[in-house]
Amino acid sequence: MSILRGRAWVFGNNVDTDQILPGYAMAEEVANLPKFAMAGSSVPDFAAKVQEGDIIIAGKNFGCGSSREQAPVALKGAGVGLVIAGSFARIFRRNAINIGLPVLVAETAGHIQSGDIIEANLETGEIILKDAVLKGKPLSANTLETIRAGGLINRVRQELGVN
Amino acid sequence: MNFIERYLAKAAGLDSVQPGQDIRCKVDLTMAHDVTAPMAVEQFEQIGVSRVFDRNKIVFVIDHIFPAATVQARNAYWKMKDFAAKYGIVFYEKGEGVCHQLLAERHRLQPGQILIGADSHTCTAGAYGAIGIGVGSTELAAAMATGTIDLEVPEVMQIYVTGKPAAFVCGKDVILTLIKRFGTDGLTDKAVVFTGPGIQTLSDEDRMTICNMGIEAGAMIACFGGSELEAEVAETVPLALETLVPVVACPHSPANVKPASELEDIAVTQVVVGSCTNGRLGDFKRVVDVLKFHKVHPDVNLLLIPASKTILGEMEKLGWCEILRNAGAVITNPGCGPCFGAHQGLAAERDTVLSTTNRNFLGRMGHRNAKIYLASPATAAETAVRGVITAPGTLPAGGKEA
Repeated sequence: MSILRGRAWVFGNNVDTDQILPGYAMAEEVANLPKFAMAGSSVPDFAAKVQEGDIIIAGKNFGCGSSREQAPVALKGAGVGLVIAGSFARIFRRNAINIGLPVLVAETAGHIQSGDIIEANLETGEIILKDAVLKGKPLSANTLETIRAGGLINRVRQELGVN
Repeated sequence: MNFIERYLAKAAGLDSVQPGQDIRCKVDLTMAHDVTAPMAVEQFEQIGVSRVFDRNKIVFVIDHIFPAATVQARNAYWKMKDFAAKYGIVFYEKGEGVCHQLLAERHRLQPGQILIGADSHTCTAGAYGAIGIGVGSTELAAAMATGTIDLEVPEVMQIYVTGKPAAFVCGKDVILTLIKRFGTDGLTDKAVVFTGPGIQTLSDEDRMTICNMGIEAGAMIACFGGSELEAEVAETVPLALETLVPVVACPHSPANVKPASELEDIAVTQVVVGSCTNGRLGDFKRVVDVLKFHKVHPDVNLLLIPASKTILGEMEKLGWCEILRNAGAVITNPGCGPCFGAHQGLAAERDTVLSTTNRNFLGRMGHRNAKIYLASPATAAETAVRGVITAPGTLPAGGKEA
């Protein structure tokens, strides 16, 4: 679980939630959301091409805009196993962690191209490439606790003692 | 401690807090709407508790797609309706208005209150000194069950405001100018606070517009403080209101901001005034002031979307609706309108829209090749009349009545 390996899809800066999941898809049932993953982005046919475990690589401010949790839900449902970005918008980052989609903050510009197979270690923040190792930012203790619990709902259940 | 830290410490039951500290706060109010509530309901049911933490402190609003434009949207309503009936929470289901406006009108927002909303523009509540924090559906579900939220104490960026804005400069120009300065991620994870003698010249409505768009620079919290300089903040930036001019955010970023006067001659096909950003009485006053004397350009749709039923009622009482309609505007029911691209005025590839809403991302309001410009209601009003982007104050005030 802590080491993830997958094929990279490289995006730029400021990939907003309308690119990740356009407003017109908001009323869809959760089961249909993956069909719209990245439909508003520079790769509109992403959902048709993405494979289980693929990794999104982006620049700064990934997930800016709306609080729509459907955005990370669509990515996770489409098979995305991890998002690595130079930085994340706050609400997207929390939403992803809360639903169990791992995110890693790391500067990767110029090091990774779409199609590259990369490996990331969530605990150390290391990203292993064919010819280099990049160092990402380690996750906070609180974030790790949520991830260890398997998302926020499980964590709340544990804390409230609900069986 | 600065005032944000004092508020958070109190909510966390601590004597003091510092930036970066993880705290667990009591929440005073939680809110979700028809796009975010259905998923929150599902997640709440996953938790498996038999009651909400306080039914009077949970507000659901149907505002994003009302009346339902699709069957799925109506299904979202039913999911919320059933939850509201089961748990006895507060439910605005008849087009009462946009969630952020309803919280301000009906829930007595107070300085230091902790307000959690499953909408990124929950920071609007900072106009009243409340700590409004946007979250996703899962975090909202957790807060509905526990009455608490885990937060990281943010660094505070202080905007020290002085002076008075010129006649045609609106709250929208204040915040767009700041977003240009900071960029769309310049305030990520931070609280931005507004202090200084200049804030006295900003109405509650201006303050709501300003706080509303704090998220467009990435801010976790946007909040008005007092007239005094706040000590113990990470950074302070001065802002002299008299130096501001009417501005427009160009496609496709709220930070791509230019003076309106540099954009004249760009033809528009639709003008939208409304939303949680600029759908209040003072905003429509700006439009009435222009449409009293001028008609909407024949090649332009002017859509006016009041932020609440109360506001629409006031407009009717003042006789504005008749003036606006006679001049060629269309007034829709209160709600979010076309802002996020679901209904009521979507843009096609050939359209250029000037809107008082908060986002002009690629494809936000319909087709990805449609161009969206963001501006104040004053700029929007004169643009709707001339059919090209127009700095407010260009048209003669007065003259022949429409």
